Amino acid sequence: MADTTTASTPRAGMIRFIVVTPETTLVDTHAKSVTLPLFDGSRGIARGHSPFIGRLGAGEVRLSGEADRPGEGVRRLFVQGGFVEVGHDVVTVVTQRAIPQEKFDAAHARAELEKLLSSRATGDEAIGAKLEAVEAARAALRTAAK
Amino acid sequence: MAKARALDRRRKSVRNIRKITRTMELIATARFKKAMDRSVAARDYTKQLAKILENIAAAGAGIVHPLLEVRPTKRSAVLVLTGNRGLCGGYNSNVVRQAVAILGQWRGEQVGCDTTVSGKRGISALKFRGIDIRRSFTNFEDKPEFDAVAPIGREYLSAYAAGEIDRLDVVYTRFHNIAKQEAVTEMLLPLKPPEAEGQGAKPATTLASQEYDFYPSAGSILEEILPASFLSRLFKCFLDAAVSEQVARMVAMKAATENASGLIKDLSRRYNRARQSQITGEIMEILGGVEALKQ
Repeated sequence: MADTTTASTPRAGMIRFIVVTPETTLVDTHAKSVTLPLFDGSRGIARGHSPFIGRLGAGEVRLSGEADRPGEGVRRLFVQGGFVEVGHDVVTVVTQRAIPQEKFDAAHARAELEKLLSSRATGDEAIGAKLEAVEAARAALRTAAK
Repeated sequence: MAKARALDRRRKSVRNIRKITRTMELIATARFKKAMDRSVAARDYTKQLAKILENIAAAGAGIVHPLLEVRPTKRSAVLVLTGNRGLCGGYNSNVVRQAVAILGQWRGEQVGCDTTVSGKRGISALKFRGIDIRRSFTNFEDKPEFDAVAPIGREYLSAYAAGEIDRLDVVYTRFHNIAKQEAVTEMLLPLKPPEAEGQGAKPATTLASQEYDFYPSAGSILEEILPASFLSRLFKCFLDAAVSEQVARMVAMKAATENASGLIKDLSRRYNRARQSQITGEIMEILGGVEALKQ
């Protein structure tokens, strides 16, 4: 865990929010609340939420009331799949793909979606995978558009 | 004079080589630091996955999954990770030796083997030994990226699920610390169950973990998390190999620089001696001439 003194000190009314990807720890901060794209819809989490482990779908993570960037509004990240562990006011997102909104390449995402739509899938598994990928690409575009 | 001049020329060329090896050492040191930072940054992911797995195990969900199932090996896959470049001591040859050992073992047991090699050095060494390489990669340098490693891992996963392979071994150089790296053969598929991963669950965390709810269910999370855990382990092998290669090159080039310095010292000594004896010879000749003139 990337325990820096500033990030690990508990702050009143806030939760610690961490995003880890296979390559690095992308985010480690404190925020008032965070909205996560669970596999079946969004879920908001604030301090005192009951502990759970959940599967994530594709969509955006919204961070509001961040301690390090007061008055800057909501920070958005796009995540695709993975897990979240919520426990004792620490929210940890473990995902293979997480992209901050400002680094998101909308043109590339659109091209990818088009490529997916024009590809042909045969067999139940391939069709399922394609639908999932299309859904993820659309979610990515929605995040980029905001 | 001829001998002294030849020595001087050799000394000059050794000096040039020393410059090159010294530079390579510095480059390897810089790359090693970067690779090491990446490897450290990647640890969190593995740790978090292990934590979630531990929690699922503690929640009492029976951990049964095709990826954990040990089947009799009828067809196996071996992935060999070597470097693209040499000049790094025994790094490549150690891995190749390990790979040849395991491939020989499978051949001895009449098990078909699907060999994939990363790195030019490994490819040529194994080809030379007459091993049939199904696939090879040369795009992994000192900064392997997860997005490049994941497709390879997913292919292995689907082959394993389809029953095309019953086992996957990765031959790579494991990085223990800066003074110790060793070539190892590690079995990645079937996955080892989470309990066997060392770091036994402490009673305190087990107690706390029983409070967790699972969305949608522990079983469904397990189904997703095991492939992720496999991919992260595979990625760690690539990272370890990259770090170890840089360390090996650093050490080899440091030794080469030191040897070059020793050689220069020796050559200088011989050059000075040759020069001195030549001067002495010339003086003797002049003295001889003077003596002859006196008479």
